[in-house]
Amino acid sequence: MAEPLLVVDSVTLRFGGVTALDDVSFDVRAGELFAVIGPNGAGKTSIFNCLNGVYRPQNGSIRLDGTELIGRAPTQVAGMGVARTFQNLGLFTNLTVVDNLMLGRHVLMGTGFLAGALWFGKARREEVEHRRRCEEIVELLELEAYRKHPVGALPYGIQKRIELGRALAMDPRLLLLDEPVAGMNLEETEDMARYILETREQLDLSMILVEHDMHMVMDIADRVSVLDFGRVIATGPPDEVQADPKVIEAYLGQAS
Amino acid sequence: MTATAPAATGVRTDARSLPALLLQHAQQRPGAVALREKHLGRWREWTWEQYAARAARAGLGLLELGVLPGERVAVHSENRPEWLLADLGIQGIGAVTVGIYPTSPAAEVEYLLAHSEAVVLIAEDEEQLDKALAVRHQLKKLEKIVVIDPRGVRALNDDPMLMTYDDLEKLGEEREQAEWAERVAALDPSEPALIVYTSGTTGPPKGAMISHANLLAAAEAFDQAFGGSASDEVLSYLPLCHIAERLTSAIDALASGYVVNFGEGGESFVSDLQEIQPTLFLGVPRVWEKMLAGIQIRMADASRLKRLNYGFWLRQGERLARKRMKGGLNPVDRLVYALGWLMLFRTVRQKLGLARIRVALSGAAPVAPQVLEFFWALGVPVREGYGQTEGTALATFTPADDVRIGKVGKALPGVELRIDDDGEILVRSGGVFLGYLKNPEATKETVDAEGWLHTGDVGELDGDGFLTITDRKKDIIITSGGKNISPSEIENKLKVSPFVREAVVVGEKRKYLTALIGIEADTVGNWATRKGIGFTTYRDLSEKPEVRQLVQEWVDEVNKELAQVETIKQFALLPKELDHEEGELTATQKVKRAAIAEEFADLIEAMYR
Repeated sequence: MAEPLLVVDSVTLRFGGVTALDDVSFDVRAGELFAVIGPNGAGKTSIFNCLNGVYRPQNGSIRLDGTELIGRAPTQVAGMGVARTFQNLGLFTNLTVVDNLMLGRHVLMGTGFLAGALWFGKARREEVEHRRRCEEIVELLELEAYRKHPVGALPYGIQKRIELGRALAMDPRLLLLDEPVAGMNLEETEDMARYILETREQLDLSMILVEHDMHMVMDIADRVSVLDFGRVIATGPPDEVQADPKVIEAYLGQAS
Repeated sequence: MTATAPAATGVRTDARSLPALLLQHAQQRPGAVALREKHLGRWREWTWEQYAARAARAGLGLLELGVLPGERVAVHSENRPEWLLADLGIQGIGAVTVGIYPTSPAAEVEYLLAHSEAVVLIAEDEEQLDKALAVRHQLKKLEKIVVIDPRGVRALNDDPMLMTYDDLEKLGEEREQAEWAERVAALDPSEPALIVYTSGTTGPPKGAMISHANLLAAAEAFDQAFGGSASDEVLSYLPLCHIAERLTSAIDALASGYVVNFGEGGESFVSDLQEIQPTLFLGVPRVWEKMLAGIQIRMADASRLKRLNYGFWLRQGERLARKRMKGGLNPVDRLVYALGWLMLFRTVRQKLGLARIRVALSGAAPVAPQVLEFFWALGVPVREGYGQTEGTALATFTPADDVRIGKVGKALPGVELRIDDDGEILVRSGGVFLGYLKNPEATKETVDAEGWLHTGDVGELDGDGFLTITDRKKDIIITSGGKNISPSEIENKLKVSPFVREAVVVGEKRKYLTALIGIEADTVGNWATRKGIGFTTYRDLSEKPEVRQLVQEWVDEVNKELAQVETIKQFALLPKELDHEEGELTATQKVKRAAIAEEFADLIEAMYR
């Protein structure tokens, strides 16, 4: 089997005396939907922050397609095809849906300031192409009715969908989804799960999903890693992980 | 009593089928726009020449696959150009189109494909394909599934039964296009062209066989009634397998040669309408009700000045509407309307997408008078029509200069109307269908020896030939006191409120009438938000005491207009929105009474305790 798309190898992250991630290892295969779950403060978001260069872990290695990510700035990581959505939305609320998506493509725009400002030659061709790509995302996520609406005026469930669209606009190879259904009701959650699956089906990309909603994770993920106090206590297919006594004790056990 | 309209004055052409009409347009105005579709945010167009060429390719592709004349080909898709292209392609080779509602669940898809013995299914996308794949082992006759939009369809390469629509057209290109035209010319008009499954509120759907001649009879009559021309525009948005949308998007479009637009649909329906501003529009009552509710909500949120302006001009509009319904406006009235156009009507009509409306038609179910009056006040002349699948939609239509609200108009050209001894409406015209597929008993009950179509509706015909529909014959409620009550009249009164989406009156063999009421999630949600009432789901909203009080006040209001025996003594709010996929509504959004009575038996019993 080929080398997985992403390899996280013995990553340790400390803030002073607190160990946020303790020797965390997992890998994500091409086209896989991989989920990371765990109780509050288990280190889920810290993993994302290490992956996209916001935090720099003290030990370990994170390789995307063989290239080391640790030490690179967030913009460099984004340029390599790693996009993420934010739990509390990374959208410009006063801009329209289309403008937000176009901004998501900013990292891919190659024309200089002058050509861009004059709407000339390559800049023009490029913009048309970017706009077309945005329309494909609008179609995929069924945002047609909201194209020209300012994002801030739209319902929360729709904003979450636009947030996913903004990340997709970067044409990522690896998409990091940070609690895409946080604060949603059952119907909105089901819709979001459908869009996530549809996206993976059509765009053929790998995803890492961090989520609280256990039902959704167990329904849609291919494999799951369970974190507890910064350590991975189990990794495997959802049904296996659910049956693991360590997981039941650490995570599910709390609820019952 | 009989009312006979003068027979149609004859077609302008010698075409004897819809594909033949298509070929004529392609020959006479090859470069004119025929179809438009919004794709990735932009409108793209097809000319009549391209329309005919692509329909021919689809038909020839099917021939290449081995489809024989008389065999059935099913189309399972949302409205899009390929729907019409395939439909005409199929009819052109003498095969028969069977439309399936996009919302049909897998079990219904199985029933329709099995019953119609379809040999090829044209499925829109992965979603519809999955429904077919789930049931295909039951379908011995089905040989091929053609997928229009293959995105996300993994099995395409290794499943020999699947192919794409593009490949079907490529297959068709291997034959000469002239071959299709020859086949079209050789069609026998008395042979079936379509099978339209009637969504029946009881029992399994029945497949009504419509011939080429039926379609042409409808084409002639509606071309005259609507006065359509090449400059008209329609938006194709109701399901195309229903005879009503087929009428505006195919039958009348091919008769008059106007442009059919396909928008983005769903949530984008409102902006589709705004962009197209159609000149000819067919709405079901639900559409008109929703438009009215939308305006009412906006006005409730508007400033005092705007509300005053709205109220003033709407009253003026109502005054003018009464004159318009009786023939026309004098110059002073016209001036008043022109002022109102500047002050209110233009803005509202543009928002609704009805600024250019020339002919507006309401059909498929009765619409409340208050709703009609609102649109007339805006200057949108919504005229009620009446027809059924079995008559190729041919029965009555309201004349432009003699509008009688509460009546569904007069017989269309070439249509005879009669009221049977038991009050049932009978229709005879060139549109009366060939019969139900594989169901001669039902056919015999529907069409008598003299060719009269028994509609199953009870109604009255007045001295001027205007028809009034009382109700479905089998829906009439007989209370335990022996009173005959028409539930749909009461239900329509209840549905006038923007807060009420669904109303089902119950009372068969009971002492008094009760109603199950479904609230309109958008408007009641908006109302609750403004009142500061928090809610989560539809169910939660419907259980709020304030919402119950809101509906109670409306029911009390309606009760004042009703005779004592007709009043609603109790009502219950439905805990969920009714849905086609769950068997509560027909594909045309009509309530299935029997299913509702069963599903919500507890709620009903509680009202009689």
